[in-house]
Amino acid sequence: MVTQDRLEEMRQEPEPPELDLSWLNLDSEFGVQAEVGRKGLTVEQINVGSYGEAPDRASGHSATPRGAARDERMPRMGYVIEDATETFSDSAALLYDEAVSRQWSSATDIPWETIKELPDGMERAMCQLCTSLTEVEFIAGDVPGKWLPKVAADHYESGLFLMSQVMDEARHTDVFRKRALANGGGLLFQGGGGGLRQILECTDYSQMSAMLHILGEGFVQTLFRMGELISHNEAEKRLFRLAGQDESRHVAYGVTHLKYLLEKEPERAEEIHWALDMFEDTTVDPEQQNPGLGTALVYILGDGDMDEGYKLFMNVRRKQTLEYLHRVEVAGLKGRAERLHPTLKGVLERN
Amino acid sequence: MSDDATSTETNEPLTERTLPMPWLDADVHWGVRAKRDGHGLRFSALNVDIYGDVPDVWENKSEIPRGAIPTDNVERMGYSIFEKSEVWSELCADLYEEAIQRRWQSSIDIPWETLEPLDTDVERAIDQVCTLLSEYGWLKAQTIGRWLSEISYGFIEVKLFLGTVIFDSARMFETFRKRALANGGGLGRGGKNIRYWPLTQSMNWSEFVVATILHDSFMLTVCQYGAQLARNEAERRMFRLTGQDLARHLAYAQDHTRYMMLKEPQRREEIHRYLTKAEYYVHKDADETLYSAIAVILSDGREMAAGAMPDVAEMRRRQVESYLRRLETAHLGDRRGRLHESFQGWLGLPPEEEAPAEEEAETVEA
Repeated sequence: MVTQDRLEEMRQEPEPPELDLSWLNLDSEFGVQAEVGRKGLTVEQINVGSYGEAPDRASGHSATPRGAARDERMPRMGYVIEDATETFSDSAALLYDEAVSRQWSSATDIPWETIKELPDGMERAMCQLCTSLTEVEFIAGDVPGKWLPKVAADHYESGLFLMSQVMDEARHTDVFRKRALANGGGLLFQGGGGGLRQILECTDYSQMSAMLHILGEGFVQTLFRMGELISHNEAEKRLFRLAGQDESRHVAYGVTHLKYLLEKEPERAEEIHWALDMFEDTTVDPEQQNPGLGTALVYILGDGDMDEGYKLFMNVRRKQTLEYLHRVEVAGLKGRAERLHPTLKGVLERN
Repeated sequence: MSDDATSTETNEPLTERTLPMPWLDADVHWGVRAKRDGHGLRFSALNVDIYGDVPDVWENKSEIPRGAIPTDNVERMGYSIFEKSEVWSELCADLYEEAIQRRWQSSIDIPWETLEPLDTDVERAIDQVCTLLSEYGWLKAQTIGRWLSEISYGFIEVKLFLGTVIFDSARMFETFRKRALANGGGLGRGGKNIRYWPLTQSMNWSEFVVATILHDSFMLTVCQYGAQLARNEAERRMFRLTGQDLARHLAYAQDHTRYMMLKEPQRREEIHRYLTKAEYYVHKDADETLYSAIAVILSDGREMAAGAMPDVAEMRRRQVESYLRRLETAHLGDRRGRLHESFQGWLGLPPEEEAPAEEEAETVEA
C-alpha cells in the first residue's frame, strides 16, 4: 500500500513556471494617472487617455479589456455586439458608479418594525401587488443577464451598468417577497406574463431596452415614486422610495442609450416605434391581463372604495403615460404621442 | 406588465363584478409572518409554511413566484433548470444577505491616496496582474448572466445570490482596472483565456460551478499573495476585499457541489470529466504571464525575476492545493488521484513513471 506519507517522501520541489517577460514591452499606453475626485476614484475618472475612448466598433470578440494589448495567441471567444450604437450610453459609467454608491439592504434598511396589521382586504391587496411586483422584477433581472455575454469588453460601461441592474432587480425581487410574507399575509396570484415574455423574446438589444428600460421600468418607476399613495407605514414608503431610486437609474440608461442610438442612426426610429407599438399593445391588452396588479392598485389607492380608487388609478396611469412620452421625447424619438395606443390616449384625454 | 384596470371603460360603479378581484377571497396559505432577527428581515426568514418548500423538481415552467397561485393562461418562459440538485445550496439565502452586508465601493473604500510611484518594471508587473484579474471578473459576470435566465423562480435564493456574484465580479473588473490606471501605468496584456473555455462554453450549470472551483481557488490564492506583496494600503485592501468576495463564491460552489454529489452520486464520473476538462484547458492555455509578473513583483524588477520563480512555484502549488481541498469538502476527494499531470508537477509530485505502479497503489489516502 502506498501511503500519503510515502507520497510526501517522494514529493519534489514544485515545478516552476517558465519566465516570460514579453508583457514588459507592450505598445499599450503607459503613464496614465487617473485622479481621485470628490466621489473617490470612479469609473468615469479612469476613462482617461486611450482607455477612455470607446470605439464605435468593438474588435476582437474577446474579453480583452479596452486599452489592453491583445494576446495574439488568443482565439475568439464568441460573437459580441460590435456596434457601440447597439449598447452604449454616455451615462452608463456614471449610472454604474451611482448604483454602487446607492446599494441598500432590504434586511436592514427597511424599518420592518413599522408594519402594523392591516384590514384583511387591504393586506390582501398589498400582498397581491407585491406578488405581481416580485414576479416582474424577477424577469427584469433575467433580461440584462441574458444580454451580458453579448456586450463587448470595449463597451464595458454598459456591461457594468447591466451588472448593477441585475443586482438591483435581485433586491427588488427579494424586497417585495419580503413585504408579502412579513405581515400576516402571503403570496397571491401570478401575473399574465405576456409583456414579460415579450421583453425576453427580443432579439435586438435596443428594442429590448426601449421596452424594458423606458416603457416597462418607466411605468414601474412612476408608480414607485407615488409610493406615498399606496403605503401604510414607513417600511412600505421606504421600500418604494429606494426601489424607485434604483428604477430611475434603469430608466435613465434606457433613455440615454436610445438618445445615443438615434443620434448615430436616426433611421432606426421607426424600428423603435414598432417595438413600443407592440409593447403598448401588450401593456393594455385585456387578453394578457394580470388578474391582480391593476385591481389591487385600485383597491389600495381607494382604501377599499373602488370608484375612488379607480379615479386615482387613472391619475397614476396618466402620470405614467405622460412621463413615458416625455422620456421618449428627451431620447429624440419624435411622434410617439401621435401613435400612442388608443387606450393610453384615452387615459390622457380623461381629465 | 399588463393590468386589467386601464382597459375598463364603464360608467357603472366599480365593484368586484366590474373589476375582477380574485385575490380578495382566494383560499391561500395566509397568515405568514416572517420574523426579524438581529440582522433584520433576512431572506431565509421568509422560508416558512409552503413558501419555504423547495421541491426536488420544480414543475412550473413560467415565472410564477414560489408559493403564489398559478394562472392557467400563462406562457412558458424558457427556463431549462428545474432540478434542485442542479443548482441548490442551503447557504444561498445567507450568502446573498452577507454579500449585501459586506458590500464595498472601490471608489471610496480603497485608500487610493496611499499609492506611490513605483519602479517601472514593478508598476508594469502590478498592472499586468490587475489586467488579468479584471478580465476574469468580466468573463465571470458575463457567463453567470447567461445562466440566470435558465433558472426558474423555484430556486429564487440561488438567483438572488448569483445577482450578488455578478455584482461582485463587476467590482472585481473595475477595481483592478482602476489600480492599473491610477499610478502612472496602464493596462498590460489580456490573457489567452483558453483556460476559461470550460466556463464560457459550459452546457450545464454544475459543469460551470465545478470549473469555478478551480478558477476561483486559483484567483483567491493570487489575492492572498497580492495582499501580502502589496506595496501600499490601497493594494492590500483591494486584494483582501476581492478575496473576501471570492471566498463567498467558493462557499456556494463547494456547497452546491457537495449537495449535488449527495443527491446524484451517479454523476461523479461526469463531474470528474468536467474537472479533467477544466484542468486540461489550463494546461493547454500555458500562459505564464501572471506568474512571471508576480516573479517581477517579488524580485523588485526583471533582473532577478528568474530567481523568484521557486517562490512563484510555491504559490502555484498552493493554488492547486486550495483547489483540491475545496473539492474534498465537496465529496470529490478522489480528485487528487486523478489530477492532470501538469498540476501534479505543480504540486511537486513525481512524474507518472516514477510514481508507484497502479497495482501497488491499492489505496492512496487522500
